Amino acid sequence: MKIIVMILLFSGLAFFTGGSIGILRLPDFYSRLHPAGKLDTAGQLLTLSAIAVFVLQDFSLHNFLTATKIVLIVIIVYITSPTATHAIVDAGVRAGLKPWTKEDQS
Amino acid sequence: MKTLAIFIVLLFGGLLIYCTLDFPSWGDPQAPASMHVSPRYIERTMEETSVPNIVTAVLADYRGYDTMFETIVIFSAGVACLFLLRIFKRIEPETQLYRHIPTGITLRIAKGAEPPRESREFERIDLMWVPYDLIIKTSARLIVPFSQIFALYVIAHGHHSPGGGFQGGVILGASIILFAISHNLRSSFTRISEKFAVLLCGLGVFIYAGTGALSIFLGSNYLDYGALSKIFGVDPVTARSHGILMVEIGVGICVMAVMVHLYYNLASAGRHDEGL
Repeated sequence: MKIIVMILLFSGLAFFTGGSIGILRLPDFYSRLHPAGKLDTAGQLLTLSAIAVFVLQDFSLHNFLTATKIVLIVIIVYITSPTATHAIVDAGVRAGLKPWTKEDQS
Repeated sequence: MKTLAIFIVLLFGGLLIYCTLDFPSWGDPQAPASMHVSPRYIERTMEETSVPNIVTAVLADYRGYDTMFETIVIFSAGVACLFLLRIFKRIEPETQLYRHIPTGITLRIAKGAEPPRESREFERIDLMWVPYDLIIKTSARLIVPFSQIFALYVIAHGHHSPGGGFQGGVILGASIILFAISHNLRSSFTRISEKFAVLLCGLGVFIYAGTGALSIFLGSNYLDYGALSKIFGVDPVTARSHGILMVEIGVGICVMAVMVHLYYNLASAGRHDEGL
């Protein structure tokens, strides 16, 4: 059980690290939103499910309810985070921001 | 210049960190904060008010006046923003835009011309109108009811678990603002009109102050909820927790209405005509 928690936690952290590096390193607005929307969602899925598994280690009704709440958080972030990213990208396109292309590189 | 700024920042940061060493350590029983009234609150709250959450008991019962005027501060901030931001003079727009829904054609109605009636075929749209986004609309439709239920839970359960009127009211207001963002300002006006929002601001304060006045009429001090036991038909200690709940509901309504009303004013630049 502990090993599963460790694996989930560290893979989640790997996603978070990738997301942070992506936000810092990628060239423009749209490509920066890409790691912010995707990798953070994946990272929180893995880390929070690690916490849920950790809580469920000694099974009781109270712990089960706590794990259920964590799963609900995961579901809510899974709905809202990509939608927020989509809305920001949509607003950027409507405001007339051109995506970065290779010709801009200089 | 830059080195001077860095020097000043480091100096003051260091001073602040140095001063934190003088603070009593966390949870120190000898600290001034836990010497005077705190032990009494911790020991007697349950038997005096039957509220398990001591923070809420202190907020709404022991220091009820404080919270009442806090609510009035929010109310007066809302009213001040109403007078600062709202443009009461009706400015006729240069052109009005209407959209023919079945075909998606936009009609530009010049000033003075008669606009088509709002119907199933024509709807009025803003200058910044965007086509309905299925993704945003659907997920807002998923999120809004759950966040409203959660807000009501936070308000109603504030004296048993962390939460209360302020937090619940903000969540409730945020869910309505989310609805207004994901649809448009005009469709949220059909749910909560401007007048209704301002009325709710006043109603929240009225519920709080009225609960206090009710306890005067029942022969006790202002905001002394123990007197409400005659209405609820319970013993005075349980009546205190019911009184706290009533007060929290008032705070929640006031905060929600002020949030919604501020959003209306900011999003439409005070005109309440076109907006996000």
